[in-house]
Amino acid sequence: MPRASEKQLESTRASSEHQKVWFASLRRSVFDEKKPYAIAQADMPLELFQLLGVPVVSNQWWAAVVSAKQLSGYYFDALNAAGYHEGLCRYCSLSLASSISGDPAKAPWGGLPKPALLAARLTCDCIQRVFETWAAAFDAEFVALDSPGATQLPPRWWELSRHRWRELFEPHRLDFMVSQFRILIRSLEKVSHKKFTRANLRSLMECVNRQEEYFDEVRGLICSAPQTPVRMNEQVINVMNAQWHRGTEWAVNHARAFRDEVRHRVDHGLAAYPGERLRLMWVGAGLWHDTDFYTAFEENLGAVFVWSMYLAFGPDGYIRYGLDDPLRALASRVVSMNEQLHNPPWANEWIVEQAKRHRIDGAVILVPQNSRPSATGSFFIRHALKDAGIPALEIWADMVDGRRWDARSMRQRVAEFIETQVRHS
Amino acid sequence: MSGAYAKLLWHYQNRSAEAVAQHKTGVPVVGFTSNTVPWELIRAAGCFPVLIGPELGVLDKPTPFADSLMEPVFDSRIRSIFNDILSGAWSFLRLLIIPRTSEPEHKLYLYLREVARNSSSDKQPPVYLYNLLHTRSPVSRKYGNDRTMELMEHLRSMGPINAKSLSRAIQESNRARLAFRRLQKLRRSNGPRISGSEAHAIAGALYFMDRIEYAKLVDDVCSQYKSAKVLRGPRLLIKGAPLHHARFHQAVEAHDAVVVAEDDWWGSRAADAAIVPRGPASVVTAVFEKYYLHAPSPRVSPAADADRWFQNAVRRGVDGVVFYLPPDDDVYGWDYPRQRDFLRERSIPSLLIREDASRGLSGDTTTRIQKFVMTTRRRPDASRV
Ligand code: SF4
Ligand code: SF4
Repeated sequence: MPRASEKQLESTRASSEHQKVWFASLRRSVFDEKKPYAIAQADMPLELFQLLGVPVVSNQWWAAVVSAKQLSGYYFDALNAAGYHEGLCRYCSLSLASSISGDPAKAPWGGLPKPALLAARLTCDCIQRVFETWAAAFDAEFVALDSPGATQLPPRWWELSRHRWRELFEPHRLDFMVSQFRILIRSLEKVSHKKFTRANLRSLMECVNRQEEYFDEVRGLICSAPQTPVRMNEQVINVMNAQWHRGTEWAVNHARAFRDEVRHRVDHGLAAYPGERLRLMWVGAGLWHDTDFYTAFEENLGAVFVWSMYLAFGPDGYIRYGLDDPLRALASRVVSMNEQLHNPPWANEWIVEQAKRHRIDGAVILVPQNSRPSATGSFFIRHALKDAGIPALEIWADMVDGRRWDARSMRQRVAEFIETQVRHS
Repeated sequence: MSGAYAKLLWHYQNRSAEAVAQHKTGVPVVGFTSNTVPWELIRAAGCFPVLIGPELGVLDKPTPFADSLMEPVFDSRIRSIFNDILSGAWSFLRLLIIPRTSEPEHKLYLYLREVARNSSSDKQPPVYLYNLLHTRSPVSRKYGNDRTMELMEHLRSMGPINAKSLSRAIQESNRARLAFRRLQKLRRSNGPRISGSEAHAIAGALYFMDRIEYAKLVDDVCSQYKSAKVLRGPRLLIKGAPLHHARFHQAVEAHDAVVVAEDDWWGSRAADAAIVPRGPASVVTAVFEKYYLHAPSPRVSPAADADRWFQNAVRRGVDGVVFYLPPDDDVYGWDYPRQRDFLRERSIPSLLIREDASRGLSGDTTTRIQKFVMTTRRRPDASRV
């Protein structure tokens, strides 16, 4: 049987390597060549940054890196000591903490340098505060994209999002987002001294489509193979690194290589864990401080995590056909991103559909204690899964703050859930 | 207790009473969940506007309807609203307007829509998301103005809105705003003559009453209190999470302090200056701008705009500030270090309380408040900074 910590795919190694090399070169160019970069929330239109040649460090990705180095406790304690209380949402603030509190030099790779720009979509009420505080500390510009709510909520959004996105997202929301994009574009142009063109955006959007189509194929392979050919952990690494750089030559090639490798594994009957008897789904953001958790139920229970939103959301959330107005198409990709993942009716409907397609036996739902936007919608998801006959367990924990995570007892709880509910369902 | 104050207090305590009474006489009632919904437009459509707020007497009541659908990360006010709507307590509303004024309200809207989608019950009133944004930018301003026009169109299905009805509604509202400002003056003048606990209840009553009656009663209160004894304690400002009850004020004032203002839509910021349209074509825009530019919301950005009222209030002179950040706060805590530093630079003392006042404060916290009031009392003059 393969070891739980083993990385089985060459793509996974290549992906991690690329990310390291990319960040090292980012640091070089920022420090030595004084080239500008931006810090942005994960749900921003990264395509615009890409197009104008402004490298982006995503807040969420950097938080995951800080967390993986076991530094989240240190920085959160320092943030608390500076007067930011313990009850504040942690998911989007760890990166800020690593810049403004404690010893910034302790952060991975010597810490984030001063960005030329910070940018965020205002979803939860805290995010403008996190970014304004950060921008003030760096003395850098902050561009906010405000986010009106959707009022038309057609069922089965993923069936409309590729071709009928103009219907799915209301015209006034798209218009508004486009006008905010124009402001962001002006700022990016100022930083990079490059000019935005619609034609370039269209080409980039086409590349993003291609990339996501490869991911769609990977998803199809995972769904149809008798056992999953790729562990969830490795799916996430391959997908997320490519998503940060989406539409670039590297990302498209990487997605293709990933698809080829997964296909090869399926063709040769290679399973991620040949003893797979039960298929699990992970609902929610990744448990970045304990990623071994996802392989902990293989050996004793034959239970393999097969699904997380990261791969599946690529094709369903990103592909846009009909690119005559690429800025508007891009707006449609951004306007409801968070809602589709965390709110009714989008999240619950979609997750049930995904569970069925992936032949899921049981779901583990992460309800982040200190992150409201990701915690919400969880009960609707649980009800929907149960109505569909899929047992679901909620675990209340933080995605990036490992201080209160009791790895042993959490594993025990999930094992018990698998034994008592998943096996018998 | 004066008769006028007693009546205002009664409405503050019996929050749905007037709405129920109006409904019984055949007046359509429209509910809303925050201070940022244009009262004047609802009124102009011939409806009675009422804030859906947690009933005061039942702050700790169980929320059985909400519990299986709403995660505990929601604050008690939103939870209680969700519960009450699902229970059918507000089924008589013709419409419930939820503004995009906070993320929990946005979620509340989606949750209610989802419940409605999956049930055929008529317990729930129709819900409407009023997409008012609070970022101070020309694009958000235009977007909000357009959405306000849309809201007016929607309200027209409830009753005709025309220049006359709109102007009458604005007059009613302005009349209440004027009385409200007189009351705030009584609190902020050289010697405050009305306690913060009383003033807070009077401010809150605005959301549940007929505004003509409200204005008359507040005028009466002001006339009576004008000659009341000056309250001598240190003059404090409360800042932090909104307080939909007066228990925190009472706890602070139990130690002889006087709360002269709160940066809170339930208190000093429930209303402000009159709405003055620049011309007949811009009446709705004037209404919109009143809410967009002046109504507090946790989403006002940038921080310089969000802090302006607070900083001005401090500069006008207070002896100290009490920050109220209950355990379920996950927003205002981000502002605290910045605002604390603003006060420190001006040598204005502040105190941070992190308990839920609706459940009553612990002995420790009560002692901390008492000590704070005692040390603050020693400052001879209000700061002018
Ligand atoms: S997840 Fe939401 S509430 Fe939490 S820090 Fe991020 S934006 Fe804020
Ligand atoms: S997964 Fe959810 S919480 Fe995480 S960045 Fe995306 S929308 Fe935000």
